[in-house]
Amino acid sequence: MSFNILLSFSVIVFCIGLFLRFYSWFNQGIDPEHEKAPFLRRISCAFSGLLSTLFSKKIFLILQSVFADLVLQKRILNKSYLRWITHALIFISFLFLLFFHAFGSFTYSIWGGEYVSTLNPAFTLREVFGLLALCGIGLAVYRRINYTKKRLHSNAGDWTALLFIAIIMLSGFLLEGVKLSSYSTYEAMVEEYGYYEGEEALALEAYWVAENGLHSPNFREAVAPELVETGRELNQEGSCIMCHSSAKSAFVSYSAAKVVGPAAAAIGDGAAVSFLWFVHIVACLAFLAWLPFSKMFHIISAPLSLAINRVMGKDSDDPVNTLNRQMIGLSACTHCGACTVECSSSMFYESFQNEFILPSEKVQFLKKIAAGQEVSSEVLNKLEKGLYICTSCDRCTDICPSGINLRDLFIHSRYYLLERGIVETSMLSHFSFPLALAQKFSGSHLKALKAVHDIFLKTFQSLPDILSPVKIGKNVFVDNESYKSCYSCQRCTNICPVVRNYQNPAAELDMMPHQIIYSLGIGNVDIAMGAKMIWSCSTCYLCQEHCPNHVELTDIFYRLKNIAITTIEAGENT
Amino acid sequence: MRYAFFQGCNIPVRIEQYAIATQAVFQKFDLELVEVRDFNCCGYPVRNVDEKSYILPSVRNLAIAEKMNLDIVVICNCCFASLMKAKSVLDKNGSLQNEINHILAKEGLQYTGKALVRHYLSVLYNDVGIEKITKKLVYKVKNLGIAVIQGCHILRPREILHFDNSFVPKITDALVQCTGAENLDWRGKLECCGAALAGINDPLCHDLLTEKILGARQAGAQFITPICSYCYLQFDTTQQIISPHQEDILPVLLYPQLLGMCLGISEKELGLEKNRTIGPQDIEKITSSLGSPEEDRKKRKKKIKQPA
Repeated sequence: MSFNILLSFSVIVFCIGLFLRFYSWFNQGIDPEHEKAPFLRRISCAFSGLLSTLFSKKIFLILQSVFADLVLQKRILNKSYLRWITHALIFISFLFLLFFHAFGSFTYSIWGGEYVSTLNPAFTLREVFGLLALCGIGLAVYRRINYTKKRLHSNAGDWTALLFIAIIMLSGFLLEGVKLSSYSTYEAMVEEYGYYEGEEALALEAYWVAENGLHSPNFREAVAPELVETGRELNQEGSCIMCHSSAKSAFVSYSAAKVVGPAAAAIGDGAAVSFLWFVHIVACLAFLAWLPFSKMFHIISAPLSLAINRVMGKDSDDPVNTLNRQMIGLSACTHCGACTVECSSSMFYESFQNEFILPSEKVQFLKKIAAGQEVSSEVLNKLEKGLYICTSCDRCTDICPSGINLRDLFIHSRYYLLERGIVETSMLSHFSFPLALAQKFSGSHLKALKAVHDIFLKTFQSLPDILSPVKIGKNVFVDNESYKSCYSCQRCTNICPVVRNYQNPAAELDMMPHQIIYSLGIGNVDIAMGAKMIWSCSTCYLCQEHCPNHVELTDIFYRLKNIAITTIEAGENT
Repeated sequence: MRYAFFQGCNIPVRIEQYAIATQAVFQKFDLELVEVRDFNCCGYPVRNVDEKSYILPSVRNLAIAEKMNLDIVVICNCCFASLMKAKSVLDKNGSLQNEINHILAKEGLQYTGKALVRHYLSVLYNDVGIEKITKKLVYKVKNLGIAVIQGCHILRPREILHFDNSFVPKITDALVQCTGAENLDWRGKLECCGAALAGINDPLCHDLLTEKILGARQAGAQFITPICSYCYLQFDTTQQIISPHQEDILPVLLYPQLLGMCLGISEKELGLEKNRTIGPQDIEKITSSLGSPEEDRKKRKKKIKQPA
């Protein structure tokens, strides 16, 4: 009775969770340019996309995805054998135990068989797969701990998932073990199915004690072999054999029975069985209820995400389905960290200590952004920096075992936050180069660049803006002292391809290269940092190479850029 | 000889053919370029923001090569400059080396400076040698005007890179000439393609690029041959963005593709059609210009014999 209540409750929670997830697929998303399309339009676009795929040659891509991505788990295989084994152990065991244990009666009924959990092969195989799943859990824990050195982050959800499965497996083994050893269970079974009395009853019991792990108060010492033999015959002739394979074939539980049997008997084996049954059932049902709200939802969303990945590829020009796909992708993330381990920008995480540089950590947070949750501006700034410090190498997208189009997600998120007015100084870095090539959200890019430019104008004074005489300062530029050798020959300015490019360079660049060096000479670093010249420097090193007095102009410009950005960042934070 | 092949971030995803063609050419000279999945970004993109963050990733890459007991071969000039810069900074700054090694120790890596950084052109020129390359040639191209753009960060600053004479470089010229191509002397050869300004100051970036395209055209170039991956992307991708007419596009040919054709490697294997600016007629132009290298050699022999 209580089982039915628990079951109904968890199925209801599971269904609500599924509904919320499916709803979020077509209701949430991150798009910098478009107003989010209404729910019904999102669904209709998804369906028309699905239909046009099913009735075209692309259906073969889906079949390919089912075979390669789902059955063979090829994306994980390509990355690491150990990960593939880990996942396969858990994945295959889960499938087996679901269909041949939890849904055993149903599965057997398909071919008209009758499922008896204590008969082989199910009796043994359940143990085999339970053990394999535990091995998989062990490997997964090992990987999570071992890869922290590779910046793999594990959160509460990751450990909970592993713990859940471990508890289900372990409680299952213990339950089986205690049941095998339980005298009260044995008594109840004999009462219901056996018709033995006196000597015969004792012989059967002796056999079960000797061979099937039963812990009986009647046999405290070694059992007489003759009695066991008699018991064996009774077991063979009677009804026991019809439903019970040798308990030894459930090798893990049988061993567990030997170990925990006496203890269970001491506290009361009937109570122990009920307790463990309760733990096992509650763990399974709680897992079911938790599934749609957790990363384990990938069981449903990852196959879909992988198929979409095959069909749509990396580029897509359909904004509505791109958004649908983005949400399915976000729900398919297992936080496995494969992207982070392979991330080309991972060392920038070490220097900036911003976990949002790591793709797996970005994704966790972007779920909140997609859902439209309120996030503090401080966190948003940090997230935007993490999004921008990306080399656009696509490794994360190529490696993701769930086939999430991370590249697209990150591009959308980057410009979505910029559109919301976040000022990102890293826009002035070469991370902007691949973005310029891709030509996505060019309008947003220019607008955000202008915002950075405005902050510069506010923070630094450029030479043309200064009306009073230029200050001679004491703040000597210590980062590179080669500027002191400058004797103002202007060779740098004369050879500069950027200066040459302009009809009126003073208006476009504020200061010429030699003037910047000169301003360092008079101790005014601020006007040097305020000059557009340093941000227009093409870093071709021609000036530095041609300087007769070895002033390291380009290196100095780099340092000035670094200091300017640091100054602005410090100002932003105060 | 085996090298750890440093491809950087742009090449595997945007210029795969550069890596494939280089590997194919190196294979002809029994040089193996080992792909190393563990390498990360060289650090170059962050240089405007923070110098130390720029150095750190390169040191990690050097430490990985060191652990593998291999020297690094680089294609991209900016990666080359970053790795060389990191090396030169750490060799002078012991405390920074300790600081970075402390970070690397988490992964079981350590930088001592053992691994060398080589540009692939330097391996071809200095280790293989023009003579050996010439002997291996199956074809030579004729009447093919090539405008090489060296890329800034392979030459300058000379104290860091030690690649070639930074004012009058000869390595790339010699390598192009040995294929029989007409190596053009043109105005933008040692100058900037504008890539460093992309996404930061696009008009200026485009001006610098346009100037180079016009300069190469004026010198009679049929193809432009960028060495750096950033230059390549400027000419192959940005050129298409800024050119209003497709017929004005100056096609891009990579050096290992040119050399590979002369070594008898098929254009498919060299990924010629993956260059976005190259059309079938351009490939046809190259294949039709391929001729026997023998006549040339015979002529030379005759010339030598005559005075005797």
